[in-house]
Amino acid sequence: MELHWGLPVIIYLFLAGLGAGALTVSGSVLLRGGGGWFAGQHFRIARYGALLAPLPLIVGTGMIVFELGTFRAGIEQFDIAKLFRWINLFKTINLSPMNIGSWVLGLCILFSLAYAWTFLTPTACAKDDQCKVRRVMAWIAVPLGIAVAIYTGIMLGAMPSRPFWNSQILAMLFLFSALSTGVAGILCMHAICHCEENQELRAQAGYILSVSDALLIGLELLIIFLFIMFAHLTIGDPAHAIAVILPGGVLVWWFWIGVVLFGMLVPGLVELRYTLPKLLHHNPYRVLRSVEIAIGVLVLAGGFLLRYVIVVAGQITGPVGM
Amino acid sequence: MSEHGEGISRRGLLNRISLGAATVTVAAATSGNALAAVAKDSQVHYAMVLDTRRCIGCHACSVACKTEFAVPLGATRSWVEYVEKGTYPNVSRHFLPRLCNHCRNPQCVNVCPTGATFKRSEDGIVVVDKEICIGCKYCIQACPYDVRFIHPDTGAADKCDFCLHRVSRGVAPSCVNTCQGKARIFGDMNDPTSEVAQMIATNPVTVLRQGMGTRPSVFYIAADHSDPRETRIPNQYVRVDTHRRIQERR
Repeated sequence: MELHWGLPVIIYLFLAGLGAGALTVSGSVLLRGGGGWFAGQHFRIARYGALLAPLPLIVGTGMIVFELGTFRAGIEQFDIAKLFRWINLFKTINLSPMNIGSWVLGLCILFSLAYAWTFLTPTACAKDDQCKVRRVMAWIAVPLGIAVAIYTGIMLGAMPSRPFWNSQILAMLFLFSALSTGVAGILCMHAICHCEENQELRAQAGYILSVSDALLIGLELLIIFLFIMFAHLTIGDPAHAIAVILPGGVLVWWFWIGVVLFGMLVPGLVELRYTLPKLLHHNPYRVLRSVEIAIGVLVLAGGFLLRYVIVVAGQITGPVGM
Repeated sequence: MSEHGEGISRRGLLNRISLGAATVTVAAATSGNALAAVAKDSQVHYAMVLDTRRCIGCHACSVACKTEFAVPLGATRSWVEYVEKGTYPNVSRHFLPRLCNHCRNPQCVNVCPTGATFKRSEDGIVVVDKEICIGCKYCIQACPYDVRFIHPDTGAADKCDFCLHRVSRGVAPSCVNTCQGKARIFGDMNDPTSEVAQMIATNPVTVLRQGMGTRPSVFYIAADHSDPRETRIPNQYVRVDTHRRIQERR
């Protein structure tokens, strides 16, 4: 079976989700409690998210250009017109999910750069002269990030010819996966940079990120359960399509071992191992930086594999019957 | 509080009148569009009937199409599938010619982000403007009939266009012209006197993957819709030779 959308699209879906998730989390933290105590205490989380978001969004969008037929033909034939044919996407506005998504994505990239700019100075803090601008921008960052995370799911889900993708719940799976990878990206930055002087504050930030990620992973698992059960319990195209990730299917190991076990269950359980004592008994939250980094990397790898399995599974299955 | 008091101000009244006028204008325009759409639907609508009883699986149509458009190796605008089923001695082989279905509700048009793929209002043919298409492959994913491909020279999506360059000059499509068994009938299905309309009206015709809701303009007579993945009859052996580089149906 031929894959029309290959690795560039998979990388794009992953990176766009990561960037959109980081932007949304950053905006949410900044706005929490109206930008009061919580946002002041955890300004660094918002800063990490804001600084992280633009790069994956830009690189991911760049990757998708490599999948365009005209771009590839342009490279082979040294044809400048074909190389830049993708500009046609922005010469029209229609109801195609890809067209709407392109506009939203373009807007999100520009916005994330402007948003990151407000955090760029080394002296940036919760109460500096940029704080009002940041708060206004955070109100836009949250819906814009969610829109980018969701549109990819809508784009894939809008085709009856691809029964694996043609599920209303796919967009929600992409949203929660984007938020989870966004949090994991911030968690990694938080652990690697390690520039918080106040250790208690640093632990508090790590705790908040880990609890949020565990919650998002739980929601992802719930959505995956619904995604599979709705398809498996029906008959016809969806049941036939979902069989590729069920026992006997060609992607069963990638999905259950790669995505669910190592991408969700292991990091989720490790996060619970460290956060539950504080959550239930108010014990101090202590975790090694290496563990934080490992959790983040596992969640990011799981997010990538989730896109890989979904993109491939959708293309190797189709409607049954002629 | 308005400076004009609690009643409707003069400016407010003017605004309401202009709003009402705009609403009436839009409604009139919309109803006009609806009437125009009905009128357009009653214009020429090209369709093809494939009478599989007359098809001998000679691939002359595939070759004619390849020649007409210099279709590159590995790609197909039109092809013939062989559908084999049964167990000896109770076996059969049927031929299923395939091409773009020029759907009345084309999914490829709905998803095209640039508007490069569109359905011509004057004759119902679905075409691709290769100067606008960016080759994103969204239409390839969305087509339930797997009739589209990326042309290696242009990098744009390509597919059957009912030989638009011939049809617009009153000449039959190349595959119809070359069909040895006269299995392909092409014409305006909105013209009750045309052969294609009469064939559709007087025969039990079917379309491919009706459940997709695409309303194809390509109709089949006595087609075998068997698919290896969905055997209609239990324990029935079914094999399909696609005669394409992609050896499995999607």
